[in-house]
Amino acid sequence: MTKSNTSFAVKADNISKIYKSGNITVNALQNISFTLKKGDFAAIVGPSGSGKSTLMNVLGTIDKPSHGEIYIDGIPTAKMNGDELAEFRNKKLGFVFQAFNLITGLDAAHNVALPLFNMPVSESERLDRAAKLLERLGLGHRLKQKPTQLSGGEQQRVAVARALVNNPSLILADEPTGNLDTKSGEEVMKLFREISSTGNVTLVMVTHNPDTTKYCDKIIYIKDGKMEKEVVQ
Amino acid sequence: MNYKDLVWLSYTDLSEKKVRAILTVIMVVIGVASIVALVSLTEGISASIQTELSALGPTTIIITSTSSTGFTLADTSQISALPNVSAVIPIVSGSATVIAGSENVSSTIDGVSPQDLDTLLGQNVSILQGSMYADGPSPAALFSKPLAFPSTSGGVQNIFVGSPVKVEIQSGRTVQNTEIPVSGIINVTSSPLIPQDIVLMSLSAAQLLLHRNSFNVILVKAKNTSSVTPLSNLITQIYGNRANVINTQQIAATAATIIGAITDLLVVIAGISLLVAAIGIMNVMLMSVMERTHEIGIMKSLGFRNKDILTLFLFQALLVGFVGGVIGIGVGTGASYGLAALSSHASSTSGSGAAGTGGGSTFAAGGGGGGARFGGGGGSFGGGGGGSSSGPPSFTPVLSISTILSALFVAMFVSGAAGLYPAWRASKMEPIDALRVL
Ligand SMILES: Nc1ncnc2c1ncn2[C@@H]1O[C@H](COP(=O)(O)OP(=O)(O)OP(=O)(O)O)[C@@H](O)[C@H]1O
Ligand SMILES: [Mg+2]
Repeated sequence: MTKSNTSFAVKADNISKIYKSGNITVNALQNISFTLKKGDFAAIVGPSGSGKSTLMNVLGTIDKPSHGEIYIDGIPTAKMNGDELAEFRNKKLGFVFQAFNLITGLDAAHNVALPLFNMPVSESERLDRAAKLLERLGLGHRLKQKPTQLSGGEQQRVAVARALVNNPSLILADEPTGNLDTKSGEEVMKLFREISSTGNVTLVMVTHNPDTTKYCDKIIYIKDGKMEKEVVQ
Repeated sequence: MNYKDLVWLSYTDLSEKKVRAILTVIMVVIGVASIVALVSLTEGISASIQTELSALGPTTIIITSTSSTGFTLADTSQISALPNVSAVIPIVSGSATVIAGSENVSSTIDGVSPQDLDTLLGQNVSILQGSMYADGPSPAALFSKPLAFPSTSGGVQNIFVGSPVKVEIQSGRTVQNTEIPVSGIINVTSSPLIPQDIVLMSLSAAQLLLHRNSFNVILVKAKNTSSVTPLSNLITQIYGNRANVINTQQIAATAATIIGAITDLLVVIAGISLLVAAIGIMNVMLMSVMERTHEIGIMKSLGFRNKDILTLFLFQALLVGFVGGVIGIGVGTGASYGLAALSSHASSTSGSGAAGTGGGSTFAAGGGGGGARFGGGGGSFGGGGGGSSSGPPSFTPVLSISTILSALFVAMFVSGAAGLYPAWRASKMEPIDALRVL
């Protein structure tokens, strides 16, 4: 492990993702390399189908790159096995999925508390932590409601709360404001900004909305699975 | 993952699919209930047979005549002269229909002298009303409680001390009606060995009534248990095929073998129903895993390890096994007591009616050998023949702690084993593949 790998919060080292099914080969990601420092708030921008979600999945270790290596907090992830990765995600990562991915059988508070399942604290303590985050996101009155009883925007905010509950060092958010009105979208952005300004948490966010990129330190442009450019602001 | 989370997550899933969970539990309930009921019933039956055999004494040898001539006093004195014999009790046994009030009840008449009756049954017989009959040819009889207070008339007494009872006796083709004075009403301890619908009288009175000069059964008491087998063999040698010789130890051994075989068969049947339950559980679990694929993907992305997912699904299966097991033990216990009560009721209305002239006598060894009498209501030793609804059931199910614990263990083991494969499949999924399934 070289020093250059360990000094970054995220280092994507020449990653590619190739989907093969029958004769069809899709190069979803091609030779992507970038680095993020601790406390960076990065945006990934690109047209639909350009590979943004694929990149997020690979960064989040729930999908494996076909080539290349990803270092998170200096730790190479490509060779870890399933259980090691699961524990790694549980400790270090927070996800906001494009499709929310909430568990339908659990209410909002339990959904948010789910990543804490392995922590040696009592259930009430975990639900407390979940409730505080949900209040922060304006959902203090929706704790006991199940996902099907929540609006799209409310579900999205539950997903955001779940991504924050385990105090991750890297948050990966796939269009976290896609279903929100301007005001609640801005609330989420301010929250993200605040979290990243502590300097301990790195954020990567996919967005289609140019307005939201103004909160970011870095914008990564992707097109057809290739990195077009990287803008630092 | 701690225990409370497991319960919570499993419960959430199971309660969401209520009907399916209930059906799975029912499958386990049926399997466990049948095992518990069958085991406790057969244990109850064998315990009651053991009790009765020990009441009759481990030293008793029963000699039954296979010819119409029967035994005479010459036989009894010959047997008395054999070594290690402590008592020889001649018995005349036959069947009759007792007509009391509007009831016609098939019953067994046994002629045995008063002293011998005491040796034979001791405290298993108590006189409720009246007194013991005199030893001699004058007809006077003890009627059993189920005859005097028939359940078909709602337990109202219709046989009274002092007023004679009409009895119909069939000998060959002729039917003969007589009236027998009642000397007393007796209570015979519930027993599959001694018929409930029994009429006891002196040896000579029974001989007169049944038109025989001989006895058809001789009971021999050996001096000690170790002399039973040699004595039995000796008597068998003397009588050849003119008599059936059997001792209570043989009966006990035969009973144990037969009950063992029946138990094995029943346990196999119950096992099959558990196997069906296992396949059902596996099917339900596989469906559940398939339906929850997306959720498994979510949980894995949030950091659930393979073993966490495995535990979660396995725990659900064990939960189904535990709940089904507990309910099944309850249902099985209820069913075994219900069946015991039902069988004693059925036998009081129809059971002893099947007693035939030859093999139906109380102590008859029966022409078909030792095994036949355990099969049906025909012989006095048949479990179905001796019951009475006016008394306690002819046997009480025996439900031991070890039966309960092993039933619960089997239920959880079977469910767990059935849940293992689906749980393993769930745990092996790649998070991204699982997430893609909607
Ligand atoms: N499992 C798969 N098998 C084959 N091709 C796939 C698979 N998943 C994604 N792709 C392809 O990879 C490309 C990138 O998909 P991706 O989901 O990353 O796009 P995206 O940038 O997130 O788009 P959007 O903005 O619409 O969410 C697409 O062309 C898609 O068809
Ligand atoms: Mg996408």
